[in-house]
Amino acid sequence: MHRRRLLTLLAGAGTVGLAGCNRPQTAGTSTDDGTGSPPPSTPTGSGDGGVYVQSFVERMGRLGTATAGPYRVALLYTVPHQFWTVTNAQRSLVPRGGGDGYRVHLMATVWDPETGIAIPETGLSLELERDGALVSEEVIYPMLSQRMGVHYGGNFTFPADGDYRALIDVGALSIRRTGAFRGRFGDPATAEIPFRFTARDRERIGTRESPGAGDPGAVAPMDTAFPLGRAPDVEAMPGTHLGTARSGDAVFEAVRLTDPPAGVDGPGPYLSVSARTPYNRFVLPAMSLSASAGSFDGDLVRTLDPDLGYHYGAAIPELTEADRLRLAVTMPPQIGRHEGYERAFLTMPPMELSI
Amino acid sequence: MDFDESLPRRQFVKAAVAAGGASALSACLGRAPRAGEPVPTGVSDISNLPQRQHAWNDRVRVDADGNVHLPRHQTFLYLTVDADGPPEDDARGTVEAALRTLDRAYERSNEGLVYSLAYAPSYFDRFEATLPDSVDLPEPRRLSGFENPTFDTQDALLHLASDRGDVVLEAEEAMFGDRSEANGVAVEAKLGDALTVDDRRTGFIGAGMPAERQAQAGEPISGIPDSLPVPEQSPLFMGFEAGFAGNQATEDYVTIPEGPFAGGTTKHVANLRQRLGDWYDEQSFAERVMEMFSPSHAEQGLVEGVGDNLGADSGIDAVLDPETIQQSISDHGRVGHAQKAARANRDADGNVRILRRHVESTDDDVASLHFPSLQRRLSTFEEVRAAMNGDDLTDNPAIRQRVNNGILEYIFVQNRGNFLVPPRRHRALPTPRPA
Repeated sequence: MHRRRLLTLLAGAGTVGLAGCNRPQTAGTSTDDGTGSPPPSTPTGSGDGGVYVQSFVERMGRLGTATAGPYRVALLYTVPHQFWTVTNAQRSLVPRGGGDGYRVHLMATVWDPETGIAIPETGLSLELERDGALVSEEVIYPMLSQRMGVHYGGNFTFPADGDYRALIDVGALSIRRTGAFRGRFGDPATAEIPFRFTARDRERIGTRESPGAGDPGAVAPMDTAFPLGRAPDVEAMPGTHLGTARSGDAVFEAVRLTDPPAGVDGPGPYLSVSARTPYNRFVLPAMSLSASAGSFDGDLVRTLDPDLGYHYGAAIPELTEADRLRLAVTMPPQIGRHEGYERAFLTMPPMELSI
Repeated sequence: MDFDESLPRRQFVKAAVAAGGASALSACLGRAPRAGEPVPTGVSDISNLPQRQHAWNDRVRVDADGNVHLPRHQTFLYLTVDADGPPEDDARGTVEAALRTLDRAYERSNEGLVYSLAYAPSYFDRFEATLPDSVDLPEPRRLSGFENPTFDTQDALLHLASDRGDVVLEAEEAMFGDRSEANGVAVEAKLGDALTVDDRRTGFIGAGMPAERQAQAGEPISGIPDSLPVPEQSPLFMGFEAGFAGNQATEDYVTIPEGPFAGGTTKHVANLRQRLGDWYDEQSFAERVMEMFSPSHAEQGLVEGVGDNLGADSGIDAVLDPETIQQSISDHGRVGHAQKAARANRDADGNVRILRRHVESTDDDVASLHFPSLQRRLSTFEEVRAAMNGDDLTDNPAIRQRVNNGILEYIFVQNRGNFLVPPRRHRALPTPRPA
C-alpha cells in the first residue's frame, strides 16, 4: 500500500491536526486506567470537541432478527439513553423520557446480508404492538454509539410485560448506489419481529461505570453477530490510497480508482472518500463534502457501493495530475449521537492532502 | 354497545357516530345537542340537485374569509357489491331508489346531509369494457419510498357528512340498518340490499373538536402525548388550520370536463395515523410553523396561534421558488410541508389543482386523519404527493427522507384508495361507458 501522508489542516493545524497522534489508536480504551471524571449528563461544550469515552458501558439484549426484502434487520434494547440529534450544525438533546411502564432504548440495525454492509442512512420507522393494540409508532433516527455503532434508535415505553410485535419499515434508499448495488434497495421493506418481554429481559440489561470516562477515546463496540457499520480498513479498500485527513475528530481516508464504479457517469479516475469515527472506525454518513483537485471543484456524492462501502465520491479527470486534494465539509454528519460523540464532528475545518 | 352517559354532550355524539349502529342512533337522538331541532328536509324532484355529487362548497358553512368549513361529523363506508361480475339492473335500481330516499329525507346541506357515492377501479374491473380516456383512475399504489399502505379495493365508497351527528347516524341506519324512516321519510330502498359494508370509518372536523377528543377518560388517545397539547381552537390535531380558500382548487377546476362522466371528479382517500409526541414535545411553535408551512413563515412571524390570522390564504405561493427553499434549508435545516406540496399543486396559470377535504379521526382510539382529495385526474394527486415527499431536496443531508422534511415524521399512511365520483346521473352502479 501507499505511504500515508501527514495531513495538513488549513485551520486548527497543530492541536487538532495532531491530536489523533497522542490518542489511543484502537478501541477498547474503556478498560484502560483513567481518572477522568464522568462527563456531565448534558455536556455544554461548543461542539468542537473530540470523541471521548462515554461514562458508562451498557449491556444490551436482542429481541429478534428478521429479513425484510433485501435487508436483514436486528432489533435490540438497552437502558433508555439520552442522545443528540443534529440539524445543520445545531445539536438538540433528546432526553430519556418517562411515563408509565418500562422505558427502553430500542435499536434497529439494517444490513445487506450478501456483503455485510450496514445501511447507515435511510428513513426508518418502528411500530410496536402489544396483544394486537398499537403501543407506539415513531420514525427513529440513524445514530452513532460507541457500543452499537451505526444504528437507528429511539426511546420507547413497554406498558407491561407481554407479547409484542415490532414492525420495522425500512425506507427506499435515496442515496446513490453503485456497482452490484445498482438497482438494489430501491423499495421500502418491512421486517416483522415478534417477541415476548418479561422480567428476565429486564434483568438482562444494565450499565456499569466506564473507566476513563471523559478521556479521549471510545469504549469497545459490543461483540455482535451482525455488522455495526464499520468502515473498511485502509488496507482493505480498493484503489490507490491518497492519504488520511482529519477534521472535527473524524478520519477521512481518500482513495483513487482508475475507473468509477458502475453507475457513475463520467470518465475516471474516481475519488472515494470514506469518513469514519476515530478508534472504532464507524462510518460517518450524511454529510455534505466537497473536493477540489486541479481544476475540479465540486461536491462529492453520498454513495453506497459493495466494495467501497458508504463513501463520498466523484469522477475527477484531473485527479491523476493534481498534487493537492482539498476537502471541505459544508454540512457536518446529520446523524444522531450517543454520549461520547456529541461534541465531535460538528465544527469541521477544511482539509488538504498532498497526493 | 353501552355509551358513557357522563360524557359531555358533544363528546357523546362523536362517540356515538364513531360507534354507529341502531343503539348509537337511539342514544344519540336523546343526547345530541340539537336532537330536538328539526332537520331540514330534502327534495322530491332530484333535478333540483346538482349533477356534481361533489358540489358541497355552496351547501356548507363558509366563514367571513371565504374559507369552507366542512360538516363536523363524517362517515366513510367502504362497500362491496353483493354479486360477482357486473351488477344487475335491479341492483342498480335499488341503489338509485335508496339514494333518492336520502335526497328526499335531508336537505343537501350541512344542516341536513351532504354525501357522495364513488366507485373504485376494482369496481370497473367487473366489466369487460374499460373506462374512457376522459377518466384518469389508476389502481391505488404506494406513493412514497417509505410507506406500505393497505389498498382499499372495495367497490364503492359512501361518504356521509353533516353538522348533525344524529343525521349521519340515521342516514347510515336507514341505508344499512333496520331503520324504516329517515327524517320522517319512509325508506323505500336500502343500499344494504345491493351493497355490503366492508369497512366503516368516522371523522370530525371543527375548531375545538380535536382538543376535546385528544383524551378519553383522562388518558391521551394513541398518538397524543401526555401533555395534551392540542390547542383549544384548532380544527386539526396538528394545531393549525388548513384548507384556506386561496390554497384550494375550485369545484369547477376538479370537475371532469368531458366524456360520459363529465360533471364527476376523482377522489383519492388516504388514512394517516398521526404520532404527535415529538411534534409537540420536541419542537417549538416556530419549528412547527417551519415544518407545517415554511421556514419563511416562521422567520416573518406570519402565523399566529392556529393560523386564523392568515385569512383566506396561507401565503405559501410566495415561498415556492427553489432559491427560497434552498436558503431555508441552509438557514434552518428544514423545509415546509405546504411549501413542498404546493410546488406541484399549481398549474401554469397558478391555479390550485387539488381540492382537499380532510377530517380528523379517533377510530380505534388512535389519532388519525381521513384525507380525501378531489382532482380532475387522479394522477394529479400522485404528483402533489410526490412533491410533498421532497425526495429532490434530500441531496442536502439535513433534509432526510422523513426528518426535517415537512411533517413526514409525524404521519404514517395506513390506507390508500382511488375512486371515481360520477355525476349524479351515473351515481348508481354505473357501467364504464354509460350512455
